[in-house]
This record gives sequence, structure tokens and C-alpha cells, in this order.
Amino acid sequence: MLRHFKLIGQFFKISVQAEMAYRANFFIRLLYSVLNLVTGLFSLMVIFNQVDTIKGWDLASALVLLGVYLLLGALRSLFIGPSLESVAGMDGEIWTGTFDFTLLRPVNKQFIISFRYWRLFALIDLIFALGVLVYAVVLMELPLSILTLVSFLVTLLAGILLLYAALLAFSALVFWNSGFLFTWVINDLFQLARYPVGIYPNWLRLILTWIIPVGLMTTIPAQALAHRLSPTMFILTIMFSLAAFIGASLLFRRGLQKYTSASS
Amino acid sequence: MNHRGGWALIQNTWQSWLQHRGFFFLLAFGWMLPLLVYMLVWSAAAGDGSLGGFSQETLAGYYLMLILANQLTYPITNWTVGDNIRMGQINRWLIQPMSPLYHALSAEIAGKVVFMLFSIPVTGILALILQPEFDFSIVQVLLFLPALLLAWVLRFFWGYWLALLAFWATRADSLLALQDSFIFLLGGHVAPLHLLPDWLQPIARLLPFRYMSAFPVEILTGQLTSQETILGFIALIIWSITAIVLYRFVWRRGVRYYEAVGG
Repeated sequence: MLRHFKLIGQFFKISVQAEMAYRANFFIRLLYSVLNLVTGLFSLMVIFNQVDTIKGWDLASALVLLGVYLLLGALRSLFIGPSLESVAGMDGEIWTGTFDFTLLRPVNKQFIISFRYWRLFALIDLIFALGVLVYAVVLMELPLSILTLVSFLVTLLAGILLLYAALLAFSALVFWNSGFLFTWVINDLFQLARYPVGIYPNWLRLILTWIIPVGLMTTIPAQALAHRLSPTMFILTIMFSLAAFIGASLLFRRGLQKYTSASS
Repeated sequence: MNHRGGWALIQNTWQSWLQHRGFFFLLAFGWMLPLLVYMLVWSAAAGDGSLGGFSQETLAGYYLMLILANQLTYPITNWTVGDNIRMGQINRWLIQPMSPLYHALSAEIAGKVVFMLFSIPVTGILALILQPEFDFSIVQVLLFLPALLLAWVLRFFWGYWLALLAFWATRADSLLALQDSFIFLLGGHVAPLHLLPDWLQPIARLLPFRYMSAFPVEILTGQLTSQETILGFIALIIWSITAIVLYRFVWRRGVRYYEAVGG
């Protein structure tokens, strides 16, 4: 276990060194992060300029959800995204065959493909996300008890686990069809998590909750923070995220056995 | 200028893109989603009643048409202009006996064909589910078509002159991301123009972003009075001419400034 933490530290260090070679990129990344933040805030402003609540969500609780969405997005681009995309994305290792070298490393395969690459500049997004969350909590004017905070953090972790599981599962599909950009599909669908899953039509809500659980990832933690999560849903979410994690890991292992290298 | 060569190039590009349709279908899917999200958000906000003159059915009609209009006017090629300048690919185009604009045009036409192969069936299925309400008159359709063409001209040349700034600055493509954000926020995507805050509406009508995809759809879905339509066309034409003038200016200056990269 300790060895794994040390390895993550090393991966992080190497990624940072590589990124520091292109320091001017910082300003470009900053621009993109600001655009992402402004788009999110502006759209909420436009919507709640017209109505006070949408299906029970007011501005403050929608802001909490935006904060969670930005936070998950930041974590995704901090390490989950870059690591998995280096394996499964365009010109990824499975496509080119350089995955052979990764397999030779004396460490758990799923561990190395999940934590290998880090994008330091995603920390900007992380800071923005935390800022939005803090602002939203202040706006809600609700007393924050330890219990709320704990249930928020637990469901947030469940959301991160679900996001990771979804990305891992979609990446693992590349073992069956190396040409298709499965990771893009999940990135696209993740945009649906920007708004509470309850506002979508019923059929879509069911899909986004239980089949492609992007709805659960953000809606549940936001509900937890607004005291609107039932204990049943709390437990269901945790169990579901653990099941998704195990399922995705098994799928990845199955895929790994199918891997036959791409070299001639 | 050699138009026959240009046409051959267009056919060639189109056929080669069709071979990679999976990739382009995914791109089209990704562009569609934000608009679908806001359609659903506004539908939920409108509920069974109406909001600023929009009902769920008219919102669905507006956004489904906007999905198509947005993809028809989106100039994908603008994103590769900078790379072509940096990597020296543009050298080959400069010595060919036809305008380098043809390379962009061929990719534009090829792209539209491939995207529509995906988007028309998908929006068709969505229309069956969402039951949008349309009331087109012949006049609206006849005004929609030239507005759509001009919207493409404006969006293409506006993005092109921004992308050509790559002659001077290596990361000019971040300006394209900025433009996309403005179109999203002020161009009728995040909300139909009528649903923006009152103080913002005149600004959105003045800036070019509304005319790049939403304006034709507003005509088609009957949101505009005849006076608003005429004023809109005037603004669209002025912005289109400005974009073309800027493109010609930047292109001439840029080519003179340019020193080839690579051998």
C-alpha cells in the first residue's frame, strides 16, 4: 500500500516536470478554466432570472450541484482522464501496441493505468470548484452539521468512484474494438450531470440513474448537502458505486485477457 | 482560378471522410448534447405552462432546429488552420494553382455531409419522442435558407480570420474556444434570445454571435416580427462583409509575414 502511494508521488512528479516544460500553456489553461466556470455560472444566472425553482431546485442548490460537477470534472482532468486516455484514447497504447511495455511493469495493471499521468493545471479547476461550493453553501444559509458534511463527503466519494468506474469500463471496451473512441462517449454524456437528474423526463432519468449513472454522480452529493437525501438513497448510492467499481474492474480484467498486442 | 481542381478536391475529401464516419458521428453527438441539455432544462422550467412565450413543444422545435443549424454552420476546419501554418503544411497549398481557401471549403462540404448523415436521423427520432410544435410558412422557409447560408459565411470567415492570427501567435486557436463560448452564451444556445435577461438582449442582438446559428432558426420558428427580421438581415450582412474584409486583410498580411517551416 505504502509503495503505491510512493509510486503515485513519483508519477505526479514526472508529470509535473513534463508540464513545466511548457509553462506558457498555463495561461491558455487558465483561459479554458475561466470559460468553463463563467459558462456554468452564467447559465444558472440566465435560468434563475426567469424562474425561482425548477422542480424543487433553487439557485443555491443548483449552485451546489454546479460545484460538485466542476469538482468531478477537475478530478477527471487531474489524473483519471489523462491516465486512461493514454491507454484507450486516440493513438492510445492499445491502438499502437505500446501497451506491451506497460504490462511488463511489476505492479498492478489497473493501478498503473489509473494513476500514471497527472495534469497539474487541472488544479485551477479544482480551486474554482471549491470556490463555487463554498459560495453556494453560504448562499443556502443552512446550518451545516457534522452529519450533513459527512454524508456529503461520503456521497461525493461515491460519485468519484462511479465516475472512475464509468471511465474505466468505457476504456476497457477498447480491448474489444480498438478503433472506437469510447472515452469520448462518456465525456459527452457527463455533460448531462451539469443539472439535477430530477429535471429530465422520466425515461432519461432512469437511464441516467441506473444504466449510465452520470446523474447519480452529481445529484446525490448536492442533495446530501441540502439535507434532501433519504437514508435509503444514501445506502443505495454507496452500494451501487461499489458494485460499479467491482464490475468495471472485472470488465477491465476480462479485456486484458483479450489483449493480443498490435505489433506485427 | 482553377475551379475544376477545386471541385475534384471537394469530392476527394468528402469520400475520404465518409470512411471515418464513426469519428465524425461522435463529434456530432458531442455537439448535440449541450443543446439537448438546455432544451430539457428550459422544458422543465416551463412545465406545462409557458415561459416568456415558449411552451415545451415550441422549445423542442427551436432547439431541434438549432442542433441542425449549429452543425451546418460550425466551421470545423478553422481548428486545423493554425496547425497547418505551424507545421508548414500550408507551403504545399500556396504553390498549388488554386486558392488555399478550396482546402477549407472541401473539408467544410465533406464535413456537413457526414454530420448530417448522423444528425438528421437522430433529431428525427428525438422529434418523435418530444413532439415539437412547428408552424412553418413558405415565406419563413424561403427566408430561413439564405439566412442559414449567410450565417455559415459569417461564422466561417469570422473563425478563419481569427485562426489566421496563427501566422503571428502560435496559440491563436484559443481565440476560437473563446468565440465558441460567446456563441454558446449570447448566441441563443444557453437560452433562446427572448429568455436572456432584458439588459442583455440588445447586446446579444448587436454582437455577431447570434447571427452565426440562432438567427435563421428564429426566423423559421416564427419568433420574429417582419421588422425584426429585416433588421436582423441587415446586421447579418454587415457582419458577414466585415468578416470577409478582415479575412482578406489578415490573409494578405500573414502570407507576406510567413516564412516557411520545414523542408
